[in-house]
Formats: sequence, structure tokens, C-alpha cells
Amino acid sequence: MISVEPMLLVQNIVNGVFMGLIYSLVALGLALIFGVMDIINFAHGDFVMIGAYLTFLLATTLLVDPTLTAFITMPLFFVIGVAVYKGIIERVLGAEPLIQIAVTVGLLMVLRNLALMIFKAEPRGVPFTVFGFPINVGPITIAASRLVAGIVSLVALFLVHMLLTRTKWGIAMRATADDREVAELMGINVKKVYAVTFGLGISLTALAAALIMTFSRADPYLGLLYGLLSWVIVAMGGLGGVIGVLASGLIIGVIEAIGISVVSAGARELFIYLTFFLILWFRPRGLFGRR
Amino acid sequence: MPAILNLGISKTASIAIAIIVIVIIIGIAAYYATQQPAAPTTPTSPSPTTSPSPTPTKPKITEIKIGLIEPLTGTHAVFGQEAKQAAELIIDIINNELGGIKNLGGAKLKLVVADAGETPESAKLAAEKLIAEEHPPIILGAYISRLTAAVAEVTEREKVILIMDGLVDSLTEQGWKYVFRAAPKASAHGKSAVEFVMEMAKKKGLEIKTAVVMNEDSIFGHYVAQGAILKLKEYGVKILDHIEYPYDIADATPLVSKLKELNPDIVISVPYFHDAVLIAKTIKAMGFHPMFIAGAGACGYTDPESIKAAGEAVEWYTNTYSYNPARPTEWNKKIVEEFKKRYGKLPTEAAGIVFYSLMVVKEALEKAAEMYPDDPLNPDHLREAFLALDLNDNNSIAAQLYPTGRIKFAPNGDNLYAGTAIIQVINGEPHVVWPDPEPGIEPVFPRPDWKGGG
Repeated sequence: MISVEPMLLVQNIVNGVFMGLIYSLVALGLALIFGVMDIINFAHGDFVMIGAYLTFLLATTLLVDPTLTAFITMPLFFVIGVAVYKGIIERVLGAEPLIQIAVTVGLLMVLRNLALMIFKAEPRGVPFTVFGFPINVGPITIAASRLVAGIVSLVALFLVHMLLTRTKWGIAMRATADDREVAELMGINVKKVYAVTFGLGISLTALAAALIMTFSRADPYLGLLYGLLSWVIVAMGGLGGVIGVLASGLIIGVIEAIGISVVSAGARELFIYLTFFLILWFRPRGLFGRR
Repeated sequence: MPAILNLGISKTASIAIAIIVIVIIIGIAAYYATQQPAAPTTPTSPSPTTSPSPTPTKPKITEIKIGLIEPLTGTHAVFGQEAKQAAELIIDIINNELGGIKNLGGAKLKLVVADAGETPESAKLAAEKLIAEEHPPIILGAYISRLTAAVAEVTEREKVILIMDGLVDSLTEQGWKYVFRAAPKASAHGKSAVEFVMEMAKKKGLEIKTAVVMNEDSIFGHYVAQGAILKLKEYGVKILDHIEYPYDIADATPLVSKLKELNPDIVISVPYFHDAVLIAKTIKAMGFHPMFIAGAGACGYTDPESIKAAGEAVEWYTNTYSYNPARPTEWNKKIVEEFKKRYGKLPTEAAGIVFYSLMVVKEALEKAAEMYPDDPLNPDHLREAFLALDLNDNNSIAAQLYPTGRIKFAPNGDNLYAGTAIIQVINGEPHVVWPDPEPGIEPVFPRPDWKGGG
């Protein structure tokens, strides 16, 4: 059982890297919101879930590839994000963490039960994608949908990184993250920065959802899956910006793939969380923790 | 901070007091709640047996209550509601078309229904209440295995016959005396999947040497897989691996990579619904082409929702079902027709199991009246009557509705001739292909995209 075929190992590292890129993208929005606003959005995964359903609906009614629906869902989710911020989050900004947690958990419950009510517990998937074929590189196989999802994720991560480091908006965001009051004194409109950050964070879940739907399915509990993973990735990355998210996303992806394939599929979460604990054991502030 | 801390202490104290008070109130309430149903059951539970038994010949039985406990609300309501529709239809047919229970002077059946809810606790309570209020000698339920187990605890204690439509093997391994299950148990699903594949291979002159069995790691999935593994071993097929995975996996690529690496002739896959879509899509995207991929366990791959969600990816996949709506027997055609007429849809598995289970109840009641004319509804007499049944297409309606066409109970309550029908996705439509294929339909075997040398 422990005899590991080297090719299987390489194949699974490849699988893990591509899945890790998607995980990083999923976690990016959460990292952004947490990093800038200091709010843990427990409903993050459930926005991915809603995004997945929306992708399903758009792709199957417009008969377009699920990846293309992101052009509609991303702006829409930005607006929804800003609305959620204005309607719910802004009111609990200075409140105690417990209240903030309760509010976002409440949002999670609303979204999840909304999906359960509308779609029942049945999985929905887009029955077509132009990327449903394998690409063989020697003995290694990469599903085309993963390659596309991986590349798009990487580009999105890079763009957000550039936004944070090279633009005025990004600098304002990071300044707000560092010290809200000083940023405010410096003339930064913190409320606006928060609204845009939240909107951007939510719209990234729509992109992730569109990519996920090329190979997976939407179901009301998808949020639990991606929500938990996102928290682990953000905590493990140590709020080290985009690089931290990318690094820990890749680690989770590879560990998961090797764990499932080489050891036991049933213990998938065991490997993820053991790795998480192990990394926090050596680096309590995460891989790229500062402060 | 200190102010909050101070407040916190008095707060915790008051919270603690509040919790203690609430716990006491709940405790008292729970005590009464458990006493309440128990109180009527003790005096009344002998009454169903006393009414027919001590005055045996006198009171003529004109009506027999048949209990139905199904999840009518909650996540599994779809199944429970369909089971109820099916039960209402069959009871009407027995009473009106078949003239009731003939050996009991045409006694009519009356359906009494209770909602099992979503949890074992609610199912148990439903059983307690139904038995206390209605005293049915026979109950059918409760589709979901853990709910069925909860109901069985009550029926066993109260000596009520339970016809189970839950499929997990262990339900008939508890030493329960008053349970029967006509439906194919989980392992029978695995077994049938393998039998189908082996029969097809033999027919096409192909040899199956190796297999991988994979299942989602619920108890149900586990039992289905075990049934498949036992059967594969019987056929001398080498099992390269048995993979169990949680049904909510995010990514099936590592699993499929492993399948490709192992490269078995066939895959027996026991999915739930979500993972089925994921696995089928990943197998297609990764270009894995075995001789055949057979599903087992009646979830995923071939149900209309999965076909909608996975599209081409599930083409030629099969799955096992506890009921064959296409079985070409006189009564099966008739009941499917009546069901469609009354409810405007095709009966699925949840209805199908109820069809034959209730017809078995009718046969057992006829038998009991024949064997014990003085006291046919005594639970021990009913048990003997069930065990004495040997039903086939020629002597019963029940067997005509059953995939294998034979029903005979073993002492543990399981059908000795349990088996399933196989449904295959052909051109995006689910079709029954085995053992009695739909007219004009041939099973597709091996998979046309199989790369192996035939």
C-alpha cells in the first residue's frame, strides 16, 4: 500500500498544483477582506456556492461555456458585495468580534438555506465545457479544464497582487489594513476602501465558482467545503498577501492530492489539517506572517 | 477591559443559573414527554393482540390497518412522499380491484400514515405514536436506513411486523424477529452490478481479469462495495484496489489518476449524487477508458438530475435499482400505468419498493388466514406466514413487480432472491437494460471508447 509509483506521485503533484491554484483563488477574496477589514467573512464559501449555482443557471440558459459566465457574475457579485457591505457589514465594523462572527455566520445560513430552498439538495452541473478533454504530456495527464482554471487563477492572483502593490487604491487598502485611524487621518475614505474591498473579495468568489463549474458541480453544501479550506489557507499564509495565499493554497492542493491518491481518500481532511497544525507549530503566525 | 471582565463574571454566573434552570425545565418536560406515550402504550399494547386472540373466532376482521412511516418532511421528503403515493395506490388496488384479503372474507386494508421526520428520534416517536393510536399489526418504513433502525426498535418491542424499505445490510443482522425486507439490500446492489458486468463480458467473449471498487464512505456505500467485492472474488477477478472516499470531495483528479495508474478492466463505483457528477466529469477530462464503469447503489450517474448535470460524461454508465419500472409482466405494466395516470410521473425506486412490499403484505395476510384462521393477526402467526411465502411471477402479483421475479424470506427477514435491475445511460437517456431490458434496448458493453484490444 505504501509502495508509491513514482509516476503516480508526479501525476499527483501536478494534480495538486492545479487544484492548489484554484484553492488560492477561492481563498484570495477571504484574505483580502480579512487583511484589510479585519473581518472574518464566514459566508465566504457560501458565496462560492451561490456563484456556482449562478454559473450553472447562466451557462445552461445562455448555452455558453461556464468560464465565460464570469464576465457577468463578477461585476454582479461586486455589486452584491458592496450591497452586503453597506447593508450588513458596515453596521458591525467597530463591534465586538463575536457580533461580527454572528453576522457573517447568519449570512452563511441565509445563503445556504436559500440554495436548499430553491435547488433542493440535488447537485447541479453544467453538462458541457469546451475544456472537457485531457492533455497528455508524456505519461502525465492534465485535464484541460484544470489547466485553464489554473492559468486564470494565477493571472487573477497576479492582478490582485499588482493592484495591492502598484496602484493608489492598493496602497490605500494596505494603509487601511495597517492602521485604520491613521489612514483616515491621511485623507483616505476608509468606508469607500472597505466597500470596494468587500465587493472585490466577493467578486473573486464568482470567478472561482465559474472555474470550479468546468469540472465540478453546485450543491448547497459546497460552501462548507470551500469555506473551511479558505480559512485554513488564509491562516496558513499568515496574511502575507497574495504570495502567502498562493503558497499555502499550493501546499494544501499538493498534500491533498498525494494524500487521497497515495494513502487514503477517506483521510483527506486529516492530511490537510495535520499540515496546517504542523506549519502553525513551527510558524505560529503563518508562513508569511508579519506583525 | 476590566469593566467587561467584571461584568463577564456576573454574566457567567447568571448564564450558569439560567442554564441550570433551563436544563431542569427540559428535564421535567422530557420526563413527561417520555412518560406520556409510554403510559398509553402499556395498557393499549396488549389490546391489539387481545382483541383478535382471546376471542378467536367471534369478531370478524373487516379492516386491517397497515402502518406507513416515511420521511414525509425534511431532506428526504421526496422519497417519503412518493412512497406514500405508491402505498395509497396499492391499497386502493388491493381493496377495490382485488376484493381485499379474500381468505379473511374480503377484509379491507386501511393505510395509517406517520411522518418519520429527519432524525432517528423523530422516527422512533412516530412509530410509538402510530402503534399506540392505531395498533397496526404491520408497518412499512422508513426508507432511510437509520430511520428504519429507529422504527424497528419500537416495532420489535411492540411485536409489530415491520416491512423495511431501508437497504443497509445491518438492518437484518440485529437478531430482530419481526422484520422483513423484500427489497434488495445494499450488498445485493453491489452483487447485481458485478453479475451484470460479468454476464455481459461473457456474452461478448471478453475476459475481465482486474477491477477496482470505489465507494463513498457511508455505511450504505460500504455495504454495496462489500457485496461487489465478494461477488468479484467469486468470479476470480483480481481486485487491484478498494477506494473509499468522502462523498463531498472537492476534487476527483487524484482518485482518477490512481484509476489510470492501476488501469483495471472494470470499475465498480458506488457514488452518492454530488461525487458521481465530479467523478464522471473527471474520468472524461482525464481520458480514462476502461472496458466498463458500472455504478451500484441506486444513487448518481443514471438518475435524470445527474444526467442533466454531467451530460455526456455519464454516457454508458450504469447503476443498480431496487425496482424495474420496465419489467414486462402483466401487473407491473398495469401498476406503472395506474401510477402514471394518477400522479403524472414514472414511479422511481421509492415507489417501486412500496409496490412489491405491500403486495407481499397482501400475500402474507392471505397466507396467515389460511394457516391460522383463528388468529391470523397474531405477530408470531404473521411471521410464520411471511416465512411460508414462496412467490414467483405465476403465483403472485408481488413477484411480478420485483426485479428478479422471486420473493422468499430467509429467517432473518431478507429476500433470498434479492436482486436489482440495471439502468444504463444510452444517448443521454436512462434505460433499463438488465435483467429484463426495455423493449428495443440493448445494453452497451463494453464502453465504445474502450482502448483495450477486444
